[in-house]
Amino acid sequence: MGKLGFIKILVIAGEAGRVTRRYPFKPETLVSEDFRGRIEFDETKCIGCGACVNACPPNALELVDKGDGTLLLKYFIGRCIFCWRCIDVCPTGAITGTRDFELATNDVSDLYEVVVHERAECSECGGKYSTIRQKEYVVEAVPITESYIDKCPDCRKNKLLRALERRRGGVYE
Amino acid sequence: MSKFLKKSIWVFHLNTGSCNACDIEILDVLTPYFDAERFGVKLVASPRHADALLMTGPVTLEALPKVINAIEATPRPRILIAMGSCSVGGGIWHDTYSTIGGVRELLKILKEREIEVDHVYYIPGCPIRPEAIIYAIGLIKGLVEKKISSKVKKAVRRTSG
Ligand code: SF4
Ligand code: SF4
Ligand code: SF4
Repeated sequence: MGKLGFIKILVIAGEAGRVTRRYPFKPETLVSEDFRGRIEFDETKCIGCGACVNACPPNALELVDKGDGTLLLKYFIGRCIFCWRCIDVCPTGAITGTRDFELATNDVSDLYEVVVHERAECSECGGKYSTIRQKEYVVEAVPITESYIDKCPDCRKNKLLRALERRRGGVYE
Repeated sequence: MSKFLKKSIWVFHLNTGSCNACDIEILDVLTPYFDAERFGVKLVASPRHADALLMTGPVTLEALPKVINAIEATPRPRILIAMGSCSVGGGIWHDTYSTIGGVRELLKILKEREIEVDHVYYIPGCPIRPEAIIYAIGLIKGLVEKKISSKVKKAVRRTSG
């Protein structure tokens, strides 16, 4: 190649200019419009229904019953594959997608996001079921449910069974 | 931030059973377009020459003994950088029969065998973006601030009682 070849390379390099990105020293628009990043919860909209938990392929979302009357919706970013299926299924639009990809950390506990829900209490047996927000959501959508929604599913089922028994002349309690 | 982390970090790429997308992104970071070498990051061929291990994949049972050997061969102080959702939390494979489920399980196993790891970094993403890797390098070297933190939100009820 010799000296001349080197000059050729210089010419090519001069034409191409600087291609290296200046990130992170200079802020640049790095991601496109349809890039999918971390998701975010709107705690005023989430009802704790668990539709997103069902849809999440790697179980990055979990519903955890703490046993003290609270239900936690846990989001572990470290396991999320950023598919945004949860956004598609959420009935209340509580999840928004962000373009955020700067998630590196040296402490794994930074990667958790938790929404704390209060569980509803059954007026008959006192057991915990569903969440208060979900109850409100159902009553808002279908007002007639208000007459029986303060009982847990088990009590409702028992009530129905007892009613059936009575109609068939079955045994009374 | 220790002084050691501010120097050029030589890395060894440790694939523990990933789908190769994360590995492609690591190669991407080394191209002139992203150029990780401007931070002194250099890919080396043996863990004995490395400061940090770039770990991708959820650590399959087949790879586990080799991974432990590679970590043991890295001189101290050693950094383990878990890249991608697989590596950080097991990703889509977190509960399959043939993987241990990511770096947190691996750290437990290492602790049992008394193999110490001095720094662990986590980079979520599936696959991780090249910029996310560069951001992580910046974080390790103290060039950028950590942006993510854990959040606890309380659901707001409309009615009282
Ligand atoms: S309301 Fe949306 S975010 Fe809340 S649990 Fe249901 S699906 Fe998930
Ligand atoms: S984006 Fe996909 S992986 Fe992440 S929480 Fe939503 S459903 Fe789960
Ligand atoms: S995190 Fe995603 S892209 Fe990376 S190795 Fe795992 S499955 Fe593949």
